Amino acid sequence: MTVLLLAVVAIGAGLVAIVAAPTWRRVAVAVGVFGSLAVAGIALAMPAEESVELGGVGLVGTPLVRELAVAWSAGLAALGLLEVGVGGRPTVVGPGLVGLAVAVVALATRDPASSMAALAAGGVAGVLVPGISGWLDGPDAPSRLPTTSRGSLAILGAGLLGLAAIAVGASPAGPLGSVATSPDDPTVQMVAALALLAMVSAVAIRCGLIPLHVWAARFMEGVSPLAIPAAFAWGGAAFVLVAIDWSQVALGPSAAADPARSLIIGLSFISLVLGGLAAMVHDDIEHVLGYSILQDMGVAILAFASLEPEVAAAARNWLVASATIKTALAAWAAVVRSTYGGHRLADLGGWARHSPVLGISFAGILVAAVGLPGIAIWESRASLIGSAMPGLAGIVTPLIALMPAIYLGRIALAGIEPIGAAVAAGPSGWPRWTGGRAAGWSEGTRFDLVRAIPAEIRANRVPLMALGVLVLTVMAVVTAIGGTAAT
Amino acid sequence: MNLALVAIVLAICAGAVVAVSTRESGVAPIGLAVSLVAAALLADPLPSAAILGARVTAALLAATLIRWASRSGPRQPSPLGWPAEALLATAGAVGGMGIAVGLASIVAGAGPITGPLEGPTGPGGLDGAGEAVGLLGSAALTSMALTIGAGTALLVLGAAPMVHGRPGIRRAIGLVLVAQAVLLLRLGVAGPAGDLEEIARAALLVACAATGAALARAAATQESGGSGEGEAPLDLRRSALSR
Repeated sequence: MTVLLLAVVAIGAGLVAIVAAPTWRRVAVAVGVFGSLAVAGIALAMPAEESVELGGVGLVGTPLVRELAVAWSAGLAALGLLEVGVGGRPTVVGPGLVGLAVAVVALATRDPASSMAALAAGGVAGVLVPGISGWLDGPDAPSRLPTTSRGSLAILGAGLLGLAAIAVGASPAGPLGSVATSPDDPTVQMVAALALLAMVSAVAIRCGLIPLHVWAARFMEGVSPLAIPAAFAWGGAAFVLVAIDWSQVALGPSAAADPARSLIIGLSFISLVLGGLAAMVHDDIEHVLGYSILQDMGVAILAFASLEPEVAAAARNWLVASATIKTALAAWAAVVRSTYGGHRLADLGGWARHSPVLGISFAGILVAAVGLPGIAIWESRASLIGSAMPGLAGIVTPLIALMPAIYLGRIALAGIEPIGAAVAAGPSGWPRWTGGRAAGWSEGTRFDLVRAIPAEIRANRVPLMALGVLVLTVMAVVTAIGGTAAT
Repeated sequence: MNLALVAIVLAICAGAVVAVSTRESGVAPIGLAVSLVAAALLADPLPSAAILGARVTAALLAATLIRWASRSGPRQPSPLGWPAEALLATAGAVGGMGIAVGLASIVAGAGPITGPLEGPTGPGGLDGAGEAVGLLGSAALTSMALTIGAGTALLVLGAAPMVHGRPGIRRAIGLVLVAQAVLLLRLGVAGPAGDLEEIARAALLVACAATGAALARAAATQESGGSGEGEAPLDLRRSALSR
């Protein structure tokens, strides 16, 4: 029952926040933040396992659903508060809550067609709302509208393609009806492999994997970094999880035989290698964020190359952990951009010295993204790579882990350089008391003290935002170390 | 063969042809509404009143959103004209029915099946390859085959405007038609949907229409942004989207 309640609250709050945002900014922010906190509370109260029947279909609350809801909603609340500090039109929490609601329903239901339709319907807001907002706020960048159009079509098109593949799989008259009865038949295997490739194509379109990444890269240039996790990391994770579940149940491991397996591994490695290289060579932090998400998705689709149950569990761990880490990275990027004005490494020399809390947060993000042998994120990455390429996991996993160490390491190195002119001109990252009371503590009343709070909050906007990033970083590190219980 | 279902399929195709080819901006949403509402009724037997209500409401809401978007921006009729679009739709429908027949024949040797063909013993009563092949020529078309045919007709009509059309109302109509096509194909290939899926399908159709309408409205505003009518382009964008 809590799954249903969570979905209703999230969709309600999300839609109100989206509708109110253009006219009543504060109302939208308040509804979004309190809605996110309410959803987080409901998710925390969700029992480990529960089920409710809705429309003839069971909605089953699982540890995966619970942990995804907790991590996503808590992250959204933090991003919503950061959005207040960053300023601008509120475009993050509303679409994020709608996306969260459909993701929870999609992962809880046992009906893949319902899941896919819901994900497509709810996920498009995550691209459309920030995209239109970015276009409205950027009169000198008319290309943002075509980019938003392409992105929206990609989200909907991926959902429709996935829905078509699921329909073929569910057809009693179709060739996939024989997968369960004669899985070793070469014809049946070929048809199952084609269905698997269709689903992987839908995933590639949805996640913007290379070579279908152009819209995603352009989109990330024109929106607030805070909007990127909901559109890509979390939305993509939910889509991939539903696709993996369907592939396992409807097609089975025998569908992932050569040449389909080789094609999937090839697609994954193109995104892994080129996405990692792109993140290394780009100087702007939004592109680093975007390509790092794309690289994470490249790891996740390796699950389609084997479809074994333990690999699906590793994919769940990997997707939830990487989405939480990228939420923290997006928050860091938005705060740095808002504080120092620039978003290129050349303009950000000494950022960590200027704002030590941001520096500590980034160090945590770096450690969580790279991981260490023995912790959940490393092991899930190794499991995904090892399932696709047995025997090579010991070599390939450290190489893949090295990439975030390089592209995030570049940003970290820029942070410990001498403070540059652009960073020095920005507001200080150190907390300070601006003298809300002129004559010292002992001579003022409590009313004076309370009255000083808004002014102190405004004066400490940057340290408070850095604190928000730190909270998200702690969540990311905890998820990276412990993983989810949904293994 | 149920003549009422055939009439519904004709209404679906006719409405879609009007929607993509008309030169009158006010007529396109009407054609789309006819097509979408007819698609909601394409089932034998009809679903429960609640499901039917959800389908029709979603169809009308989608058409309303497209009408909202079509009030601004240039007209974008089909460059081919309605006769060519009608022929394309016919070809698509015939192709879809061919797919329905093909789906049944693929597994004809796999024993009793339920499929898009209706044998003498009722829907899905095909036993064995020989009987199936013998029946293919004279089999009556069921609602499944008609549903697949209607879906492919909409897919053919909507794909080109969605993929290659200029941003605007034509692309929005194409997006809605393609979404409805996939939803029909899903019903035709895999059978009736559950209640929860019906809700998700309705939400998907409305989401497609809302997305297409918002983008069409924004594109129309962008095209008129440099017209120098005394309002700054950014103000023009904001006021147009909030109307």
